[in-house]
Amino acid sequence: MTEDAIATRARALAGALTEAGFARLRVRDGDTEIELRRAPRPNGLAAAVPAPPAAAAEPEEKPVEHREDIIASDVVGILRHVRPPIAEGQDLDTDRELASVETLGIRNPVRSRGGGRVVAVFVTEGQPVEYGQPLFAIER
Amino acid sequence: MFRKVLIANRGEIALRINRACRELGVATVAIFSEPDRLSLHVRHADEAFCVGPGPVMRSYLNIPNIISAALISGCDAIHPGYGFLAENARFAEIAADHGLTFIGPKPAVINAMGDKATAKRLMHEAGVPTTPGSGIVANVEEARVVCEQIGYPVLLKATAGGGGKGMRAVAKPDELPTAFATAQAEAEASFKDGRMYVEKLIVNPRHIEVQVLADEHGDVVHLGERDCSVQKPSHQKLIEEAPAPELDVAIRDRLHEVATTATRAVGYTNAGTLEFLVHGGDVYFMEMNTRIQVEHPVSELIYGVDLVKEQIRIAAGEHLGFSQEDLHAHGHAIEVRVNAEDPDNHFAPAAGTLTSVVFPGGPGIRVDTHVYSGAMVPPFYDSMLAKIIAVGRTRESAILRMERALSETRIEGVKTTVDFCRELLGDPEFRAGGIGVGWLPAFLDRRAAAV
Repeated sequence: MTEDAIATRARALAGALTEAGFARLRVRDGDTEIELRRAPRPNGLAAAVPAPPAAAAEPEEKPVEHREDIIASDVVGILRHVRPPIAEGQDLDTDRELASVETLGIRNPVRSRGGGRVVAVFVTEGQPVEYGQPLFAIER
Repeated sequence: MFRKVLIANRGEIALRINRACRELGVATVAIFSEPDRLSLHVRHADEAFCVGPGPVMRSYLNIPNIISAALISGCDAIHPGYGFLAENARFAEIAADHGLTFIGPKPAVINAMGDKATAKRLMHEAGVPTTPGSGIVANVEEARVVCEQIGYPVLLKATAGGGGKGMRAVAKPDELPTAFATAQAEAEASFKDGRMYVEKLIVNPRHIEVQVLADEHGDVVHLGERDCSVQKPSHQKLIEEAPAPELDVAIRDRLHEVATTATRAVGYTNAGTLEFLVHGGDVYFMEMNTRIQVEHPVSELIYGVDLVKEQIRIAAGEHLGFSQEDLHAHGHAIEVRVNAEDPDNHFAPAAGTLTSVVFPGGPGIRVDTHVYSGAMVPPFYDSMLAKIIAVGRTRESAILRMERALSETRIEGVKTTVDFCRELLGDPEFRAGGIGVGWLPAFLDRRAAAV
């Protein structure tokens, strides 16, 4: 699968993951394996869980559903922002590189895995980051 | 001395290393997997990095993330503990390539001792007695010729083997073809190395090992022997003691002498253990473990030497600072491994939450553990929860003390080996001392038959 195809597939799976309420989902397709996990919400971040629809609510008053993805580091290293750095409030039309984590001289790109609005940037340039550390929050 | 050490391990040994560093004034960095976030070793360290999810391949064996954690936190050395990467020469090399001192022997020595056939050959050349046997045998026909020469029963062993994998006992010639094929296949599958050799099977020997320390300036000392003959059918040790009870003085002296000679001969540095089989008046070298061992506290308590601190000092290039004449053993020490496993069900490992944990105390008791009331036991790792060590003036007083300590111990939430070990301590054969490695399997058979 191409990188775009994987991203598309992962987005579809992320929807299924949220709907089913699973914490983790792994799908193997030929030689491609996609694993999705729901990241713990960092402190101080507003909950983006869709409000439960009120039984009596008019359909047109139903709030627009927003989903927030936490982009976390999957390696241990030093964070390097792209230039210019991604800012909070920035809109992303599509999947793009947000930063990279440098591990033993190797640059590991961190991608947005689709478009959306960056609602939080948790890390600063040159900061040491650990495995699973939240780097960005993106509202889809 | 180092400024900051990364502890590349978890559990009680990570805490043990942290304590040694504290006393030396060295800062510490812990690593942990996601399920270990609340483990005590993380809280005791100055800094901590999550290096991956639960499965060991992605966390405690994740070399790039571990080395990266050491570098970004400004460490100058790595202590590997035991298990995981402790005897991985490649890890030691990668650490060195990044300017980090690996606290252990040199990679070439780790490699030589890790390959059992090579280790045996080197020891034989150094005049160390080894079990009669062969070099690598290419096929079952070559094995058959060797078996005829040394006589049955024999042990088929994989040179890359460990933990009983790739090993088969063969009592009679007609068992050889099947045993060879299955042992080789197991070795291929487990170690990607199917090279086999043959050894004379010593029936019910004692497992006695000698602790050595060697600095980088050529000084070598031993810290006596430990008797680790109480082994589960899987060959895992359950109770260890020092000194070895009911051991002939001449054999004891010979073991100590052979261990220090061998240590010098292979150019060994840091702490190490030479394992021997002792059968009647015969002594056979089995293998050398190039790491700190689980049961090191029994030697520490009778010699008054902190082996982990010595490891760190030696790796920092310091002199031993004492000679063999300065070392004297006092009293007797015994260690019981408290494992989260079910002795009534083939020691099946248990995972879960420890609802209540109370460890013993009082005179002569040491507890090395990473668990506490409310701690989770993840399913990914070794099942050892704690080591309880008792020291006394005599073996009998150490055993009585251990029985008292085990009676104070309460661990609820998972099955453990605590009560089972109390049973073992009360057995008249154990009490008499000098049992072989066949004792515990026979004890289990008797116990099963009595139910």
